[in-house]
Amino acid sequence: MIWQLDFLILIFVIICAVAAINIRDLLSAVIILGAFSFFMCLLWTEMGAIDVAFTEASVATAISTLLFVGAIYKTTRRSKD
Amino acid sequence: MLEFIISKYNFWFYVILMMIGLYAMLAKRNLVKKLIGMNIFQTAIILFYVSIGVKAGKVHVPIIIGGHGTHHAIKAADYLNPLPHVLMLTAIVVSIATTGVALAVLILIYRRYKTLNEDEILAIRQAGRETGA
Amino acid sequence: MKTVILIFVILAGGLLLYGTMDMPAWGDPNSPANTYVSPRYIEEAMEATETPNIVTAVLADYRGYDTMGETTVIFTAAIACALLLRGIGSARKEEDES
Repeated sequence: MIWQLDFLILIFVIICAVAAINIRDLLSAVIILGAFSFFMCLLWTEMGAIDVAFTEASVATAISTLLFVGAIYKTTRRSKD
Repeated sequence: MLEFIISKYNFWFYVILMMIGLYAMLAKRNLVKKLIGMNIFQTAIILFYVSIGVKAGKVHVPIIIGGHGTHHAIKAADYLNPLPHVLMLTAIVVSIATTGVALAVLILIYRRYKTLNEDEILAIRQAGRETGA
Repeated sequence: MKTVILIFVILAGGLLLYGTMDMPAWGDPNSPANTYVSPRYIEEAMEATETPNIVTAVLADYRGYDTMGETTVIFTAAIACALLLRGIGSARKEEDES
């Protein structure tokens, strides 16, 4: 494990989390949540938890983003905060 | 002091991530934003649990080197701790199930109230109660 | 209201930061979690289950009933979604026709 890489990915994860909860367009927020999950997947690979990493990549990133986008398609993408 | 910071800064990042999720769950008035906050919160907790099993130094991922038919003595210090990975694998899949049910309820809420903002939903409910009574 | 929430969140975070002071160092090979139960799984999983991947061996063999319960949870969630969203598409079609 390389601590510089670890530190960099942690910074990216925090940036993605802050962006996901502050963007007013819900579709953009959900896509940034997908990017957050992919960074998390990188972090787990870097920690050595490869089974968790590919479960996250397939389930949490793909299926979760798909469900969110489907729900936003059925409702609205505007948000006041 | 520097050694203390180096040994602990990962945990502090996880706590910051958890605080972001908790703030989004409590302070944001949009229901989808609350769900996003819940996802971030869950991920932070899963990250904390997986990080307990990390061993620094030259260790292998928890797959036995040599594959099938390996019967030499296996030293536990050579491999990462697999138990947090197993338990958190279950937690990730269950979190997707909760997200799915929450989004289904969200669609029903939008069909009834035509908004996803919590304050507007409460105002509509209040107005409905006053006219009904 | 937002300041109250912010103070609460910072309080909770501060409590957790105080808790990390007593945690073993990150990645410590001699921490209790790495020395108490897991060596037995690592050393005996290959002999007991003939599976090189220890995570899979624990998930599907040692904890097979746990994974079956997890499958029940997913099935329940899928049934709940199907019951909640029943008739959404057909209702919209009726609105379009009328």
